[in-house]
Amino acid sequence: MQDLTLLSLEKMLDTATLRHKAIANNLANANTPGYRRRIVSFDDHLAKAIAARDPGALRSWRPKVTTSSEAALSPDGNNVSLERELADLMKNSLVYSTCAQLLSARLAAYKAAISGDSRSA
Amino acid sequence: MDFDHLFSTFRISASGLEAERARIRVIANNLANANVTRTADGEPFRKDLVVFREVLDREAARRDPGCVMAGVSVEKTIKSTEPFRTEYQPGHPDADPATGMLRLPNVDPVSEMVDLITASRAYQANLSVITTFKEMMLQTLRISR
Repeated sequence: MQDLTLLSLEKMLDTATLRHKAIANNLANANTPGYRRRIVSFDDHLAKAIAARDPGALRSWRPKVTTSSEAALSPDGNNVSLERELADLMKNSLVYSTCAQLLSARLAAYKAAISGDSRSA
Repeated sequence: MDFDHLFSTFRISASGLEAERARIRVIANNLANANVTRTADGEPFRKDLVVFREVLDREAARRDPGCVMAGVSVEKTIKSTEPFRTEYQPGHPDADPATGMLRLPNVDPVSEMVDLITASRAYQANLSVITTFKEMMLQTLRISR
């Protein structure tokens, strides 16, 4: 069974989990001299794979961690901003919740189709 | 994605909490000793400084070069080389008998307090990552309901 919606949501949850880890690492290193913040972003490949409805490309896609080259905020060479990381944290948690709820709804729809019970949807 | 990898976020934040707590402990020690004019080596107390270092997960890096994040650790604490404060106190037993000048620790209470606030805010930030991550994981458990 090829369900692109399920696959896309799975990849988005993967990305949000990895991004959460990157934010955790950034905040843990908020006072480490010379530390550069790590970013996890959705890249063009994922957007293209979803747009092209290509399950193979979607399945092989993996979220990646990159190191930010933005200028340092403090003289010790660290470019982590506590406020921005916390804002990203909240945003990422909302993205995660949204995806998890959509996934839930999708699975509930399958359940309803299988059992033929319209009330369980 | 295996379980260990999934829950490594908790470990990262815990390492951040641990490091910030170590910093708060050093600040507490600096402030407690802010007026100690004689230590074991005969000098006034020297301020301690904490040096943080990023931890890299070598094993995970072998599997996936992007996944080297493993938090933070306290690399070492060093003694500050800033000059001591001096004060004219001829009656003090530790004062220089010739000049009457007393050497006091190089602890500046104001900058210690500023560091304390920074450390406490960073501690809170790490805590909120743990709380948010816990909520995310509970949400995942609810998917199958």
